[in-house]
Amino acid sequence: MFRFQSLDEDCTLEEEDDGLVEEEEDEIDQFNDDTFGAGAIDDDWQEEHKRLAELDERDELGEGLGVGVGVKDETNFGASKDSSSTHVTSTAGQLPFHSALSLPHHSSSSGRHQSDVEDGRREGHLAESLARLVLEADPAIAGVGAAERPVFSQNQRLEHESRSRLLHQASPISHSPHPHQHPQQHQRPPGSSTSGQPPSSMLTYQQQQHLLRSLPSTIGQMNSRNIWENSMGFGPVSGCPGLVTHMEDSPLMSIIKEVGLPKRPSQGRNDEGRDLSERVPPPRSSSPVIGSPPVRAVPIGTPPKQPLGHSLNHQIHHPTAVHVRAPIQHRYPPPFPERLSPNTLLNFANSPLCRGPFSPRVSPVLSQIQRAQLLNSQVAGVPRGGPVPTLLPAGGGFRPFFGGPHPTLGHRMGPPHPHGHPNHMPPIGHNATHLHPQHRRILTQRMQNRGGDRSRTGGDWRNRDPYSNLMTQKEKEWVTKIQMMQLQSTDPFLDDYYYQHYYEKMEKRQEKERDSSKKEHTTKLITPQVAKIEHTYRPVQFAGSLGKLTVSSVNNPRKMIDAVVTTRSDDEEKREKQVWNKRRQILYTVEKIYSLLLEVQDFEKRFVHAPEEDREALLEQHKTNTMQLCNSLQEKEWDDRVSDERCVMIMSVRKGKRLISRLIPYLPPSHAAAVVMAIARNLPTLAKKDKQDQVLCWLVEPVSAVIMSMSSAALTDLLQELQGSEGQLATVLHNKFGVTLLYLILSEGERMQSSDPNCQLMDDNRWTELVFSVTRELLSIPTSSLSSPLFTPTNLIALFSRYIDRQRLDLLQEKLQISDLSR
Amino acid sequence: MNYVPGTASLIDEIDKKHLVLLRDGRTLIGYLRSIDQFANLVFHQTVERIHVGKKFGDIPRGIFIVRGENVVLLGEIDVDKPCDTVLQQVSIEEILEEQRLKQQTKQETEKVKMQVLKDRGLSIPKADNLDEY
Repeated sequence: MFRFQSLDEDCTLEEEDDGLVEEEEDEIDQFNDDTFGAGAIDDDWQEEHKRLAELDERDELGEGLGVGVGVKDETNFGASKDSSSTHVTSTAGQLPFHSALSLPHHSSSSGRHQSDVEDGRREGHLAESLARLVLEADPAIAGVGAAERPVFSQNQRLEHESRSRLLHQASPISHSPHPHQHPQQHQRPPGSSTSGQPPSSMLTYQQQQHLLRSLPSTIGQMNSRNIWENSMGFGPVSGCPGLVTHMEDSPLMSIIKEVGLPKRPSQGRNDEGRDLSERVPPPRSSSPVIGSPPVRAVPIGTPPKQPLGHSLNHQIHHPTAVHVRAPIQHRYPPPFPERLSPNTLLNFANSPLCRGPFSPRVSPVLSQIQRAQLLNSQVAGVPRGGPVPTLLPAGGGFRPFFGGPHPTLGHRMGPPHPHGHPNHMPPIGHNATHLHPQHRRILTQRMQNRGGDRSRTGGDWRNRDPYSNLMTQKEKEWVTKIQMMQLQSTDPFLDDYYYQHYYEKMEKRQEKERDSSKKEHTTKLITPQVAKIEHTYRPVQFAGSLGKLTVSSVNNPRKMIDAVVTTRSDDEEKREKQVWNKRRQILYTVEKIYSLLLEVQDFEKRFVHAPEEDREALLEQHKTNTMQLCNSLQEKEWDDRVSDERCVMIMSVRKGKRLISRLIPYLPPSHAAAVVMAIARNLPTLAKKDKQDQVLCWLVEPVSAVIMSMSSAALTDLLQELQGSEGQLATVLHNKFGVTLLYLILSEGERMQSSDPNCQLMDDNRWTELVFSVTRELLSIPTSSLSSPLFTPTNLIALFSRYIDRQRLDLLQEKLQISDLSR
Repeated sequence: MNYVPGTASLIDEIDKKHLVLLRDGRTLIGYLRSIDQFANLVFHQTVERIHVGKKFGDIPRGIFIVRGENVVLLGEIDVDKPCDTVLQQVSIEEILEEQRLKQQTKQETEKVKMQVLKDRGLSIPKADNLDEY
C-alpha cells in the first residue's frame, strides 16, 4: 500500500471558481438545507454535467482496474491540464506510473507545499493532516477503518478538478507517527468506491472529526469578521493537544471504541458518495444519472444569497434571504451516524473554504456560518469543548424570529475544552429586552463568572456512560434559547405565570434584604414594555423586476394561489349562510363582551401592581370598561334598557350563557334585574335552545344573588314574567332551571314575608294571585313532567301553607317531595 | 444548571434514567438522551414496564422517540435507591397474559354495565365526546 502525496501544486486553477463552488456544494450538502431554511446559489448545470460525465467514465475504469483512481491525479502528474475528457484516457496508462511516482513525489510535494500561497490549499492540507492525526491516534478507527477508508480530499478545489482521488490506501493510519512531518499524506480509499461517486470536496469523516475539535478556537471570535483569519490561524501544533484530549472526551469516540466503527462502504466521500457507490448498478455504458436533469439540492429559482455584510448588520431587523449553496448530492443522507450534524460539517468544511479570492461564491457560505455563529454567540459566548457550533435550525428562516435574541449563555455542560479560549462576551443589550431584568442580570453574572470556572463538573460519571452527551452542547443551548424566547413577553399578565412569579418573589426577597434605604416599594410590571417586532415572511423580490419569482421551493416559498373571496348567490346557499352568519355574529358579540369582562375582572390585579402614577389611568380605563360592559346588552347605544332580544341572542349560544352568568355580578342592580326579567320572560325559548347544551343551570347562582336583592315589587313582576302567557308555566316547570328559578322566587317571597311583616308583598293581590296560580299548576301537572330542581328551598312549605288548605298542601308536598320542616 | 431559573427545563435531565408515563397508559423507563422545544423525548435503552396488580414485567424496547404531547409525566429514577420490593417481577409472557386477562374482565364488566343502563333507558355519554366550549 502506498500513500500519495497531495498533488495540489500541480493542479490547474482554470476551474477555480467552479471548483470551489462545487466543493462548497459538496461540503454543504449533508445537512438539511430544507429544514434549516438555507437557500442556495444557482448551479451551473454544465459544470454538473461535465462532472457527472467524468464520473461515469471513471466508473468503468474503476471497475476494470480494480482500484479507484483519481483521474486528475494522473493528469496532473503529467502536467496536462485538460478537461475531463482526457482524464479517462490517461488514467489507465498512468496508473503504474502514478504508483511509481508516489514516493518521490511525496517529498517534493511537501516542499512545494510550503510554497503554496493559496490559503485554502494549506487549510485543506492542514485539515487533512490533522484529521489524519485523529485517525492515527485512535486505534479503534485505525483497526476498523483500515480496509475502508474514505477518501481524503486534499484540497477542495483540487477535488473538483481531479474528481475524487481514490488511490490505494497505504497502511492507513498506523504507519505514520509524525503527522506533522508529513502533512501531505493522504489516505485514499481502496476499491472501486469512486465508481459512482460524484466528485466532491467533502472532507472525510476524520477531517470533520478533527475540524470539529479544532474549530472551537474559532468560536471565540464570533461576531467578528476576521473569524476566518482566526480559523486559519491555528496551526497543526495547537490543534493537536486539543485533539488528543478530545479523543477521550468525545462520546463518539467512546462509542466507537466500544462498538467499533460501522462497516463503511469504501468511498471517496463522506456523504452520499458513499451511498452512491452502493446504489449505483454495475457500470454500464450510460450512467443512470446522465441524461436526467441534474439533481439540484437547491431547486432552481432559489435566489442567490445576499452579501455577507448585509446579513451581519441587519441580522435583527432585516430577515435577509440568505441562502447557502447546497451540493448536488443532497438527496443522499450522510451515511455515518456520527453525531455531526450536517451543520457542523458545513461549518468547518467551509472554514477552510472561506478564505481565498472566491468572493462572490464564498460569501454566501460565509453568511450562513456567520449567521450561525452570530446566533450562537448570543447564547454561548464561551467556546466550548464540545463539537462545533451547530447551525441553528432554519437558520435563514428562523432569524427573523429572533427579534430578541438572547443574551449570552454561559454554560458548563459537556466536557470542557482545556484550551484557554478567550471569553467572548457579546453585549446583551437590546437583544434580551423582553426577558425579565432579573433574568438578564443573572445571565450577565454568569457570563462574567465564566472565565474562571472551567472545572469539570460531573464529567466523570458522564464519561463512563458511552452514550452520554449525544445531545451536544449546542443543541442544548438551542433548546434553551427557544425556551427563553418563549419567556420573553411584553405582557406579564398574559404570559408565563411561573416565570413571572419566580422573579417577583426573588425581587421581593432582595428588597427585603436591602430593606431600609428603599422606602418606595413599587412592584412594577415585570418586563419593560417594548414593542414586539413584527416578523412576517416576505419572499425575496428583486428590485426592478416585474412581478415575483415564479418558482417556489422549500427555501423560498411563494404564494401559489391568490385566493379571492367571492360570494355565491345561490338562494339555498344564501339562507344557509344567513343562519351561519347570524351564528357567527352572535359568537363575535360574545367574544367582544367577554374580552371586556375579562379586562374588568383583571382590573383589580393590575391595579395592585401598577405604580402610583399609572393607577389613575388604570382607574379611568376601568370605569370606561365597566360602562361599556353595561351597555353591551343594550339594543342601541342611546337606549338605556337592556335589550331582551340581545340577551336571548347571546344566550342561544353555550358560551353566551356562561358569559351572562359571569356578567350579571358586574352589572348595576337595575341592569341585572332587567336581565333576570328577560330570562324569565323568555324562559321557554331559552329552554328550547338549551336542550342540547343543558347548561342553563349555570345561571342559577348569579340569578339567585340578584333575586335576593330584589324588591318585593320587582319580585312580583318577576314571578309574573315567569308565568307569562298561558301555558308558559307548564314549560317552565318542565325545565330544571325553570323549576329552580320558580322555587327561588317563591322562597325569596316567603323570606320577605316572614322576616318583615310589613312587607309590601301583600299589598296588592298580585303576589297572592300568582302564588295561587302556581300552586294550581303544580298540582295539576303530572309528576313526570315536573323536573326536579337543583335544590329545594326549605321554606316552601311555609309559603304554601299560607295560601292553600291542608289537603292540597299534603298533595303538593308529596308531589314535590318537599320535606316538611315546619310541622 | 438551569439556564432559565424560574422555569422547568429538561436540559438538566439529560443522560439520566427516567420513567415516563404516556397518555395511552404505557410506562417507559429509559435514559433520556435528547429533547427539543416541544419536549419530544429520545429514550435510550428503553424498557416498557407493564404493571398488573402486584406483578410487573419489563419489555426491552431499545430506542424510543416520544412525541411531547403524549407525555403525562416524567420523573427521574434514582438508580442508587433500592428497588421496590413490594412488586414482583415476572416474565414478559406472564405479564402480557395477566394484562390480557385484566383487559378482558374490564371489558366484560363494562358491557354488563351498559346493558343494565340501556335496560333502564339511561346512557352515560363517553367522556371524549364532551367538550367544554
